[in-house]
Order: sequence, then C-alpha cells, then structure tokens
Amino acid sequence: MHKLWLVAKHEYLKMVRRRSFWLGTLGVPLLIVVVMAVSIAVAVGGGDGKPLGYVDQAGLLADEIYPPDKGDDFSTMLAFPDEAAARAALENGDIQAFYIVPQDYMQSLQMTLYYWDDPPGEGPRDDFDDFMRANLASNLPGDVRQRVLEGIDLTMRSADGRREAVGGNLINFFMPFVAGMFFVFSVMASAGYLLQAVTDEKENRTVEIIFTSLTPEQIIGGKAVGLISVALSQLLVWVLTVVLGLIIGARFVELLRAIEVPWDFVLVVAVYFLPAYALIAGMMTAIGGMVTDMQQGRQISGVLNMLFVLPFFFTAMAFADPNSPILVALTLFPTTAFVTITLRWGATVIPAWQLILSWLLLVASAVLSVWASARVFRVGMLRYGQRLDFRAAFKVIRGR
Amino acid sequence: MPTVSVSHVSKAFGKVRAVNDVSFDVYPGEIFGLLGPNGAGKTTTIRMMLDIFRPESGQVSIFDGPLDEDKKNRIGYLPEERGLYKDLKLEPALVFLATLKGLDETTARRRLEDWLHRFDLYDHRQKKIQELSRGMQQKAQIIVTLLHEPDLIVVDEPFSGLDPVNTRLVKNIIEEQREAGKTIVMSTHQMYQVEALCNRIVLINEGRTVLYGQVEQIKRDFAGNAVVLEGQGDFTNIPGVLETRQHNGEWHLTLEPGSGPQDVFRTLAGREGIKIERFEIAEPSLDDIFISVVQGGDTEAADA
Repeated sequence: MHKLWLVAKHEYLKMVRRRSFWLGTLGVPLLIVVVMAVSIAVAVGGGDGKPLGYVDQAGLLADEIYPPDKGDDFSTMLAFPDEAAARAALENGDIQAFYIVPQDYMQSLQMTLYYWDDPPGEGPRDDFDDFMRANLASNLPGDVRQRVLEGIDLTMRSADGRREAVGGNLINFFMPFVAGMFFVFSVMASAGYLLQAVTDEKENRTVEIIFTSLTPEQIIGGKAVGLISVALSQLLVWVLTVVLGLIIGARFVELLRAIEVPWDFVLVVAVYFLPAYALIAGMMTAIGGMVTDMQQGRQISGVLNMLFVLPFFFTAMAFADPNSPILVALTLFPTTAFVTITLRWGATVIPAWQLILSWLLLVASAVLSVWASARVFRVGMLRYGQRLDFRAAFKVIRGR
Repeated sequence: MPTVSVSHVSKAFGKVRAVNDVSFDVYPGEIFGLLGPNGAGKTTTIRMMLDIFRPESGQVSIFDGPLDEDKKNRIGYLPEERGLYKDLKLEPALVFLATLKGLDETTARRRLEDWLHRFDLYDHRQKKIQELSRGMQQKAQIIVTLLHEPDLIVVDEPFSGLDPVNTRLVKNIIEEQREAGKTIVMSTHQMYQVEALCNRIVLINEGRTVLYGQVEQIKRDFAGNAVVLEGQGDFTNIPGVLETRQHNGEWHLTLEPGSGPQDVFRTLAGREGIKIERFEIAEPSLDDIFISVVQGGDTEAADA
C-alpha cells in the first residue's frame, strides 16, 4: 500500500509541475472571473446608478409606489411631465434613460425606452419592471397584491415524494447539467493523463524496472489515484472560484441569489464518481498496455471517449423528454450512465430503480474493467514496439 | 542454499515456445552467466525469475521461496531494454526509483551522492535525463540497480553503451559486489567478460539449456574442440571444421562436434600446397564453445 502512495505522489507531482496544468487550472477560474465581471458590469452598468426617468402618458404611475421589498440599490425613478423634459434631463446627464408609458399601455402593453450611448443594465431595467408591477397592482387587495408582486413559487415534487424541485429558476435547472459536465470532463481528462502516463512508461522502457518493484495493481492504482487527485485539485480550484464568484455576483445579479445547492445531486455525483472513473481508467490502462505509442493510444481512446460523451448528442431530448426510452437505456448503460444522469437531473425526477440499477451495473463493469486492464497491462507493457491486438488482449484476459 | 533456483520452467508466446524446460541454480557470492544467442530465451527466463512473466510450468524460487513484495526490495535489476523517465531530472528520478525499493528518501539521497560522484554524474544531477548522453543514462541505470544495496543483482548486458573506462568501472563494481557476498546473474554476449567474471554459466539456445556448469570445467570438457596452427597455404573449407579464423599469422580452427584434432590433421596432411609449421590443441575460449554449441547443435551438458 505504501508503494501505491509513492506512485500516486510521483504522478501527482509530475503533473502539477507542468506548465499546462497551471494554465488549465488558473485559466478556467480566470475565464469565470471575466464572465462574472462582464455579467455584473452588464447588470449594474449603463447608468452609473443614475435615476431612471419616465413619462407617464397613461396615468398609471401617479402615486409612484415602490415595491415593498426594494433594496438600497433599487434605482430611483424620476417622473417627467413630457418627452421633451425627459430628453433634456437625459442630454444633461441627470438620468441614465427614460421610459415612455403610452396612453394606450393597458391595451398595447408596449413601452419605449430612450437612452443616450448605452442602454441601462439588467438591474435598472428589472427595477423599472418591479416599479411598474407595484403601481399596477396598487389597487388590488393586499394579499392578492403580494402574490402578484412575488410571482408564482412552484414546487415540483415526484409522486413518491422522494425528490422535489423548486422551480421558477433556470439556474437551478441548468446547474446540475453544467456541474456534471465539468465533472465528467475532469474524469475524462484525468483518464487521458493516465493513458499518457502508461504509454510514456512503455515508450521510455521504465516499466521493466517498475515491474520488479511493484505489482501491476500497485502501478495502476497509484497512477489512477495520483491522476484523479490532479483532476480533483483542479476541480476544487474551479469550484472555489465559482462559489466565490456566485457570492460576489449575487450582490449584483438577482438571479444568482436564488441558487440553491442541489445536495441530492452532489450525493449522486459523489457515489457515481469513483466507479465511473475506475471504468474509464481501466480502459485507458488497457489501451496504454496494448499500443506502441501515444499516437495509437489517442486514436483508440478517441473512439472509446465517444462511448462516454454519447449522451451529449441527446441534450435537447434530455430537456424535452427526459424519460424517453433512449435516455433510460443510456442511464443504465455503464459508460453513458454518469453523463446521462447529469443531463436528466435538472429536467426530471429520475426513478430510484434506474439510479440503483445503473449504479450497480456501473460498479460491476468498473470492477471488470480494472481486473481485465491489470492482465492486459502485465503482458502488453513489455511488448516494446509491438501492438497487442484485440484478439490477443482478449486471450490474455481469458488467461490463455 | 541457492539464492535463485529455476526448475524446469517453460513459457510460450502464441505458437512460439520461448523457454522450454530450463533449470539452473545460482548461489550466494557468485557471478552467474546467463548466456545464449539473440532470441534464445534469456530475457524471458530473467523475466520469469523476477515474476514479470509467470511460467506455464516449472518453478522459480528466490531467497528460498516464491518472490514476494519484501523480496523484490532485495533485488536490483538492470534490464536489457534501458529506460528512465526522460522528462524528469536525474536526481529526483533516481530517488523515486530507490524509494520504490523500500529506501527512505534521506538515505536514498545520501547514497545517491556517492554513486553520482563515482560515476562522474554529480554535476549533471539537475539535468533532465533526456539531456544526458546514452552512456550517462546507462550509468544512471546501473546506479538505480545498486542504490538500494540489493542481495541479488540481475544485469542484462551491463557493458553495452559504455566506453572502455566505464566498462572497467562497471566490471570493478560487479566484482566488488561479489566480494561483498552478493549474488549476481549476468547476461551478456561479451564472452571475454564472462570468462573474466563468471564462476558458472548456463547457455540457453532455442529456449533449451544446452550447457550448464563451472566455466573452468566446461572449458576442460571442450578442450580438443579447437586447434591452433601456423603454416602456409589455404586452411579454409576443411571438413570437420566449424569455423576458421586467422589472427596474427595464427589460424584458429573450431571443430565440429564429433570431429577430433587427429581427423583435421590427417585432412590437412593430405592436402596439396599446405605447409604446417605448428599444430596444437587449443584450450577453447568461451567464444569458441558458444559458437561450437550454438552452431553445432551440441546439447552436451556439464554438471554443476
């Protein structure tokens, strides 16, 4: 066991000392920061906190009622008697933009927004929507007004009561999908590193010395642990950046405030993660043992990767018809289970039997994959310059 | 008690039988030569010895039993297919490989410093291995073999890629290890090195044991299978002669199995245009014996 950790540490340090690792690890958070910064700039930008003007030709905003739960950063609304006055204020820089609420608004539901160089950001525009809603609902009874202002609070619950999802927030809908995608690509990236590590050792002939110090299981196990630790370190940096970004972003973008951590999804990812990684790691190790160089390895692994990312081709179906037979089949099939579950998670409540059966099938195939890869690895790794074809590999697995 | 005992091991790859019923013992404090032509089955035998391959039949005993994790730490192996982590720096690569043999990092670093000085690699310790010359990489690999002070040292072609100075250095180190009581199994094609270093040998050809025993005894057994002569005329194409070589005016004739010096002498005496000035039975070199056995198909085995 001690030697397994030595290999794991060696592989981990070897990877994290590479420039490409740091580019990948810091590049993604940097991208997230840039995206968040742009989103915040769009949300709050375009007016530098200046008031919004409006010309109420319909006579709907005479009382100027602000929403009851408005925060300190809610935009100030300035009424103007006519368009000329509002335009003068805009030209003068007193307001960032102004709305014209036409006389026939209640029939047409159309308004016009005037701005100078840049339109107001999403935040001020949402503020004006809330302002309009508050004024339009001012004559309704108190409890009805409150319902109108807060909108629908939809809770989706499965018939067996096992899961429920609070709707009305697209981010909560897409988050499992995006998080799952990140996770899946991390698993596949580290499996790719594993293929490289195995092929490198075969190409540089170090394997023969290693074989006299370690068992194939220690070699494969150590490499797998070391390289998944690399992926997890990378993922940790990314997740921390996202969390930090969301905390900061939530101060400026209202949509982000409604995000909830889907703990049940986190649990499923945690339970699926190891067997999914073991399955692909076993396959990559076997390929590394069979091929003569990295180029051959990439060709074969490219085809194998398709078996894992196949569900992405059914993304549209996952949102439109998440319980279709094809997606159920992909949920149960070991190589596609992990991705399919992340795709379907936000769109439906996956029945418990599907989750349990697919996990059992995944674990069984992962055990088989690791066991077979150790056999192929042992024989294939010493065939320098020779490829172990699939028929020969199959014989090795069967112990012939 | 032998350090290594290989008993009737066999191994086939597909239809090719690489090793067929090979047996030998190696004892503590001896340098044992594992010889054979290319493709004879030497490397496969070594790999079975070290549990890299599993034999289909027969048994291997190392340190009085099957090879286990602790015993692996007592073995140093220099494979024929040399290789180190090319993109790593020399020092950390060697330290890592030593820790896999059970050494702690501090001890590995301390011992490594001495070895690097001895092999004149100390100034290159922070270079990437791919930046080192082939000879330097070869020396680094020898250090990997010895750094953890193994009791059993298996070296496959230890002199290949080395200049004469380093060849002598490695030869001295191998002798030092023997004097320290270590068991050494050496596979090489350099017969003069085998003669100089090995106590006993096994010669494998086409997967089978064809010679096994003490070097001196084998040479005595094969005396009469070669003659040295001086004279004038054509000494080639003589019936009963396997190979003819001329060196410094001296003809060296390796005889076919079953052919004696008297037969050759009679043949030469009957030839026209031949003048013999000296004719004597040569003590065969291992080179001669190797050629005689491998080309002549002799399967006579000497007892250990």
